[in-house]
Amino acid sequence: MTQQPTVQEAKDEGRFDVLEPERTASATSLIGKVQQGETWRSVFRHPRLDTPRGRALQSFSNVFLHVYPVKVPARVLKIRYSYRLGYIATVLFTVLLVTGIYLMFFYTPSVNSAYGDMQQLRTGVGFGQLIRNVHRWSAHLMVLVVVLHLVRTFFAGAYKRPRQFNWVLGMMLFAITLGFSFTGYLLPWDQLSYWAVTVGTGLVHYIPLVGNAISNVLIGGDQIGQATLQRFYALHVAVLPVVLALILMIHIWRVRKDGFAVTRGGTGAFAEEHTEVEVEPVVLPPSTTADDGSRVRLLGVVDRESVTAEERLTDDTVFTWPHMLVRHVVVGLGTVAVVLALGIAFQAPLRGIANPNETPEPAKAPWYFVGLQELLNHFDPLVAGIMIPLAFMATLFVLPYIDRNPATEARNRKVAIIIFSIVLTAAVVLTIIGALFRGPGWVWIPPWKHSYLEL
Amino acid sequence: MKLNRRSFLETGWRIGAALLAVAAGWTSWELLRPLKASGASGPLKLGDPGKYAANTATYVMAGRLYVVNTGKELLALSQKCPHLGCRVPFNDKSGKFECPCHGSVFTLAGARVQGPTPRGMDGYQLSIDAKSGELTVDLTKKIEGKA
Repeated sequence: MTQQPTVQEAKDEGRFDVLEPERTASATSLIGKVQQGETWRSVFRHPRLDTPRGRALQSFSNVFLHVYPVKVPARVLKIRYSYRLGYIATVLFTVLLVTGIYLMFFYTPSVNSAYGDMQQLRTGVGFGQLIRNVHRWSAHLMVLVVVLHLVRTFFAGAYKRPRQFNWVLGMMLFAITLGFSFTGYLLPWDQLSYWAVTVGTGLVHYIPLVGNAISNVLIGGDQIGQATLQRFYALHVAVLPVVLALILMIHIWRVRKDGFAVTRGGTGAFAEEHTEVEVEPVVLPPSTTADDGSRVRLLGVVDRESVTAEERLTDDTVFTWPHMLVRHVVVGLGTVAVVLALGIAFQAPLRGIANPNETPEPAKAPWYFVGLQELLNHFDPLVAGIMIPLAFMATLFVLPYIDRNPATEARNRKVAIIIFSIVLTAAVVLTIIGALFRGPGWVWIPPWKHSYLEL
Repeated sequence: MKLNRRSFLETGWRIGAALLAVAAGWTSWELLRPLKASGASGPLKLGDPGKYAANTATYVMAGRLYVVNTGKELLALSQKCPHLGCRVPFNDKSGKFECPCHGSVFTLAGARVQGPTPRGMDGYQLSIDAKSGELTVDLTKKIEGKA
C-alpha cells in the first residue's frame, strides 16, 4: 500500500503544482504517473484542478478556450439570451467543411464526369448519399440560421456601439454564406442546378453598364459551361472557405473583445448604461519632478470613450469552463443530430443531367433568391433586380452607422423595429410565394394542389 | 511639401504599393476574363435558305438558335430568354415563343407580347454566303431585341 506523499515530500521531488502548492495529483496509478511525467506536462501544463483557479487555468493554458472569456455573466448561459444562433451557424460550417472534404474525394469538376460522380456517390460509395444529404441540408440550414442570427441581433440592438463594425463583418459572412450556397448549387450538374444558376446569374445582367461584364467573369463566358463549373468549384472549395474562416475569426474575436454579450445595465439584452459623469479636465505636464526628486512621466492620456466602465455585482459571473462549454457541446451535438436526422430522412435531389437545350418547368432560383425572382415578376428589372436589392443590402451593411439611436430596448426604438419588421415580412412573404406558390410559367399554384418547391 | 528623406521614402512605398495593386488587379483580370473560345462563335452555315418554310421556327442545336421565316424575312433568334436566360421553346399551336420559367411570350418574329421580359428576343446577323449561296449566321454579332 502506497502512502500519499506529503506536500513537503512532493515539493522535494519537484512534483507539486506551482500554482497550487498545497495539492499534488495522485501518482499511484499508471495514468497518474503518465500525467505527472515530463512529456504529459509539456503538452498540458497544468493539472485539471476542480478549484476556481484550476478552472481559470483551463482557459489560460488552452489555445482553443481563448475564444471564450474566463468568466461570463450567469445570464448569458440562458438559451433565451442569444439562442446560440451564431454558434449553431459555426457548427454547421464545421459540418459542411467535414462533409465537403469527403465529397471532394469523389468529385471531379468537369461537365463530362460531375453528374456521373454524383450518381456513383449515390449508389457505389458507402454512406456517400448520406454525406451528400447532410452537406445539402446543412447548407440550407446554415443560410437559415445566419438569417435568424441577423434578425435576432437586430431585435436585441446588439449592433450598437461598440459593436457596429462586427455587424458589418456579420453582413460579409452572410454574403459569403449565400455565395457558398450558390456556387455549391451548380456542382452536381443536374437540371436543377444548371437552370437555377442560369436564372440566378441572369439577375446579374440587369446591373446597368457592368452587368454583362460581371456575369461574364462569374460564369466564364456567355453561357454556363465547363468554365463556369470550374470557377464555381474553385470559389466553393478554396476561395470562399478561406475568406469565410478569416472573417469568422475576426467576427468571433470581436465578440469576445466587445465583452461576449456582456450586459451593461439598462433593460435591453445588450443595453449599455449611460451615466453622465462630469470629468474634470486634467492637464498634466508631460513630465515633472516628484517631491523625492524622482522624475514622473505622463505615459498617456486615455480617451474617456475608450474606457469601458461596468457596474455590476462582483459575483454574477460563472466560469466559461465548464458552464458555457458544456452548453455549447450540447447545442453542437444537437445541431449535428438534426442534420444527420435530416440526411437520413430526406434525400438530396438529383435530377437528370444538365441539358442546356431543355428548360425544366418551372425554373426557379435557389430558395434564398426566389424572393428576388418573384419581385422581378412585378416590377421593372432595373427597380426589382437592382435598385431594391442594392438598397436592401447597402442599408443592412451600414445599419449601425445609420441607426444612431443608442437605445437597445424595443420601446425606445420603435421606428427602426417597425421598418425592419416590414422589410423582413415582405422578404419572407415574397420568398414563400416564389418558392411555394409558383408553377410552370410562373403562374399561381398553391402548394396543396402541386408543390414546385425545389431545395 | 518639403522633400526630405522620410517623406521621399513614405511616398515612395505608397506609390510602389499602388503599382503592385494595379499589377495584381490587371493580372487577375487577364486571368479571369472569359476566353474568346468559350461558347459558340464565328460563322455557322445553316444550309439552303429555301428550306425554311414561311411562318415556321426551326431549331438549330449547333447554334442554340431558331431560324425563323416570318413570311417576309428570315431571322436568327437566340434560344435564350432575355429575362433570365431560360431556353424559350416555340409553341407550334399558338405560333408563339413561350418561356416556361416566368411566362414571357414572344411573337414569331421575337417581339415581346407579354410577361416580365424587358425586351424582345435577341438575334444574330444573317447573311447569304456569296460562293455557296448558303444561309450563314454570325454568332459573334448579337442583335439585342427591341424593348
